[in-house]
Amino acid sequence: LTDIHKTIVVTGVGVVSPYGVGLACLQAGMLSGRCCLTATKDVYPGFEGTVAQVQESALDGEDFSSRYSRTDQLAVVAARDAMANSGCDRSTFRESGVLMANTVGGLTEIDAGIAKDPAAWFRRPGGLLRGSSFPVAHVADAVGEHFGIRGPRCAISVACASGAMAIALAANLLLDGAAPIILAGGSDPLCPFTLSGFNSLRALDPNPCSPFDQNRNGLNLGEGSAVLVLETLAGATARNAKVLAVLRGWAMTNDAFHTTAPHKEGSGLADCIRLSMQMAEVSGDDIGYVNAHGTGTPLNDIAEAHAYEIAFRGRNHPIPVSSTKSYFGHCLGAAGALEAAITILAVRSGALLPTLRLADPIESPGVDWLRGEVKRQPLPLAMSVSSGFGGSNTVLIFGSGLP
Amino acid sequence: MTPNLPSVTITGIGSVSPYGPLVGLIPQCVLEPRAITAWTSAGIRRAFLVQPFRPASVVPGLKTRRLDRLSAWALVASSLAIQDAGIDLSQADRSRVAVVFATAFGCIELTEAFYLSAAANGWNGTDPSTFPETLASAPASHVSLFHGLRGPNVTVSNKHFAGENALIQAASLLRHGQADLAIVLAGDALVQSLYSWYEVADLLSPACYNSDPLPEAGDFIASGGFIPSEGVAALVMEASGREDVRPGGRAYARVGSGRWAAGGQPAEAIRQVLGGSVPRLTVCSGNGAPCASSATAALAREISGDGAVVIPAQPFAQGLAGTGAVFHLILALDGPPITGPALLLGTAGESGFAALPLELL
Repeated sequence: LTDIHKTIVVTGVGVVSPYGVGLACLQAGMLSGRCCLTATKDVYPGFEGTVAQVQESALDGEDFSSRYSRTDQLAVVAARDAMANSGCDRSTFRESGVLMANTVGGLTEIDAGIAKDPAAWFRRPGGLLRGSSFPVAHVADAVGEHFGIRGPRCAISVACASGAMAIALAANLLLDGAAPIILAGGSDPLCPFTLSGFNSLRALDPNPCSPFDQNRNGLNLGEGSAVLVLETLAGATARNAKVLAVLRGWAMTNDAFHTTAPHKEGSGLADCIRLSMQMAEVSGDDIGYVNAHGTGTPLNDIAEAHAYEIAFRGRNHPIPVSSTKSYFGHCLGAAGALEAAITILAVRSGALLPTLRLADPIESPGVDWLRGEVKRQPLPLAMSVSSGFGGSNTVLIFGSGLP
Repeated sequence: MTPNLPSVTITGIGSVSPYGPLVGLIPQCVLEPRAITAWTSAGIRRAFLVQPFRPASVVPGLKTRRLDRLSAWALVASSLAIQDAGIDLSQADRSRVAVVFATAFGCIELTEAFYLSAAANGWNGTDPSTFPETLASAPASHVSLFHGLRGPNVTVSNKHFAGENALIQAASLLRHGQADLAIVLAGDALVQSLYSWYEVADLLSPACYNSDPLPEAGDFIASGGFIPSEGVAALVMEASGREDVRPGGRAYARVGSGRWAAGGQPAEAIRQVLGGSVPRLTVCSGNGAPCASSATAALAREISGDGAVVIPAQPFAQGLAGTGAVFHLILALDGPPITGPALLLGTAGESGFAALPLELL
């Protein structure tokens, strides 16, 4: 029997992405195979590369505080969309929690001039306000304050696994009774600081990325935000909420291997996958699709392929895997949340998105690298996989129905 | 304590702070802010500063040359806490050890350095070795990497209650069986840009600008503004009883299921968290907010009655914006010899509260 107090469900999903605002917009864009990655020269002087940007029109119509960074603004738009998607009145969320992941915080609002004379920089018109958005915690406060939500607030920052980890930790807190509902997700914008950082590491593909291809050449950065409305099934049932998906399992591990590189054999990620299936009380055969981390960097993708070989060993058929970063890049702290949203779309629609530009996949006999056409099949369970600098891994398993 | 869930105990303490790198409790002593010499300024500027030390002299073999000071301190503090807990990690299942780190500003020292390199060389000329070390999660990652800890690795942040939040999240991981042991860390480092922001925002105490000895804590808090601090506190938390079977194992306090919120009725919510018990001691964990402490003390009196001991927020820990709670707790544990129900309590005006029920052992 399902324990409704220990079952976590998704009752709303909000998204702002390079496709625009809303889950329907994201789904239509991705199903059409449209890639949002474009050549860009003007993100900072001297930058030439490929990124995916959220159109300014997506942020129109929202009355943002002057203290809000672009990270905050994206999060506010996604949170509003999530609440609207849940079909509930704003007052439903008054006592809710807000767990928002990000890595960039208010770095978008700060320029390199701050380093020379910080006091003078803060005394410039608006300098103090711009500086106040710097802490990563600001995005959770922005969402909470903007919508008058007064439950627990927290920011999560674990590099590129942040968005997924916010969802996992929110699930823990719901089981603890910390709040009746939690808005959990991630938000990260493009900014010179991160583009410069990844560029300095030579991690950027100047062209649209090709995750899991033998000739992959790095990642592209994107921007966006996704927010899930999470609650227990007991809470959702009590208020007659529409259940979009069930969060069947979650797990977090660390590679403890290297500050930027994943474990070569993918062992930390494989452990994380196994732990998530253990929590969900399912086997590898029960998982119908994996939305991969799939950045397109040489080291990540091969480690990830190894992890799938280990974690899904003994499956009857190769595990279907794709990377949707090939559509709109790597959105850093928002990536795990956006990919959770895409995974929820997959279990609801049965449409498995292919990796774009995957011509010559990594040899991995246990993996069915999805490419070409959209594959359609009943999909009771799907997995979203996230990893990041510092060895963090988080895996989420979503189901279309109750266990 | 929350029924039907395993109880969680604090079994080890370590810290790097203006008191120096320390194993276990911080002995009670007067701490005065020091004049800042790391950057030039007109007139005196004071803060509670960590004195430079060589991490490898405290933790043999530790390499911290390219790391942000926050990462280096997290490595030292975690090692000291593990030592205090009497844990031999080589005998532990390190896939079951979590790291939960709380920070308000992350690796701000190397963030500042990255901006400096961009200002000097342009965005195309930044240093690749610096960038990964600017991430807020870098200290927690280094702790996992150095000790080989493969359990959940979490970095949390909250404007006022990051320290409390880390304690609550770690206890949650342990209670849900997602780890057997958790290293909880909380702290921040002070740099020029942060100090400047505080200054321009007019948040600092007049005591930052003179050399006078600090008045008694209670009087000081009423004087307005705070003195910025830096440091990292570390706790080892584990399921209660594990320490009993370990040579040298000890227990400082059991940790209940805490709550924090950005609004609402704190007294009512805290009484629910306490589940009918009345704290004999309340530790106020005001963080970087000059008015918070007296409000917290008033709330503590409302909940505990006049007979309970209330430890006011300490100036040093108060100077750690959002991450001071763990230091407040460590400082209080060396205070009055009280056992039984206790409460770690923070308030932030209209911005909410955090409450963590404890049982002092």
